[in-house]
Amino acid sequence: MKVDSFHTLILPLREKLFRHALGIVKDRAEAEDILQDLLLKLWSRREEWEGISNPEAYCYRAIRNMSLDWLTAAANRKNAQSLPELEERSFIDSESPHSRLVRKEQLALIRQCLAQLPDKQQRVFRLREIEEMSYRQIAETLEISEELVKVSLFRARRKMQELLLEQEQISDQMMRNASE
Amino acid sequence: MKRDQIEELLDKYWRCETTVAEEQLLRSCFMETDLPDEYRCFVPLFAYLEEEQSPRLSRDFDRRLQEALRHAPTPLLQKRSARLAALMRIAASFLLIGGIGISLFFITRQNNHPQYAVGNEETSEAMEQAAFALEKLSDALLMSEKASLETIRQIDEMKIDWELIDSLSKEDPQQEENSLKEMEDTGTRKKSEGQQQEGAEAGYRKPLKREARI
Repeated sequence: MKVDSFHTLILPLREKLFRHALGIVKDRAEAEDILQDLLLKLWSRREEWEGISNPEAYCYRAIRNMSLDWLTAAANRKNAQSLPELEERSFIDSESPHSRLVRKEQLALIRQCLAQLPDKQQRVFRLREIEEMSYRQIAETLEISEELVKVSLFRARRKMQELLLEQEQISDQMMRNASE
Repeated sequence: MKRDQIEELLDKYWRCETTVAEEQLLRSCFMETDLPDEYRCFVPLFAYLEEEQSPRLSRDFDRRLQEALRHAPTPLLQKRSARLAALMRIAASFLLIGGIGISLFFITRQNNHPQYAVGNEETSEAMEQAAFALEKLSDALLMSEKASLETIRQIDEMKIDWELIDSLSKEDPQQEENSLKEMEDTGTRKKSEGQQQEGAEAGYRKPLKREARI
């Protein structure tokens, strides 16, 4: 990997890689540190990287592994229970405390649903929906076939759809009960 | 966006037939306030995706990265320089041995040649040659002296724990004690202690002493 390709290929990925790390370690400062580590490693060994055919896929795998390593290390330090929660992001001021609460619950619901999916489906879902990768890119990153990517994404989305429709029925039921 | 447009896009979305651009469009639809009620139940999903996409690196990340990159060690170069240093050391010793060897060769060759002083001119030439050879030898010896001093200095800088190395070669501490006692008896112990102390105080000179003892 030459100096040029470091700047044109790798650096533009940093926001996405950061989000990827953040999705795993759930801590902004740590995610940034992990990303910096990765970029430094890539930089210092740029001459050995000629053989890498798909740097983007490689970076995703690398940052995922590094983030998972960090999680393991954190668990080993027995800090797992005090892992920092995802930071509260600032919402629009006009949002009332109630709607903020509702929003928080909704996000928690999706996170929960996502966590219940098999690992492969979760990863495909994240890469497609959050990183906005093409099916081919996802296939290369996860080293699986494009067909399997589509199937996994299809199952993940369907699961979401079912869950959300179910939730709606439940809330409808509650509304009806309340009115009766 | 119209209702049937959303309907169509959403259907495609569930069937995984949308492009990334269409998915972005769909997401923005679900962020709008005039979304038809029947689709409200899917808002959490798109809100979640929007939320997950929003975190950005802190503003000073790039600056910190640049800083880190500037100070980043280049392991490749470091490895190379370490290897180079080792090679240089080996080369220096070869040079030293070679220098002595060549000088000896010249001297012996000149000595082995039967020299006949035929004329004045030839005598002075032979003298000159001999002087030249001696000069070379003295140069080589000087160089070797310098090199060995340098080596000694380098060894000193390595801060080798001689005591520890000595203790490794000791086979039986009891025996050592006995021999020490013997030395004390003969009164030589004081001297050796003094030597040791001196060595500890002037670490620089210690290996020299050791060399001398060897």
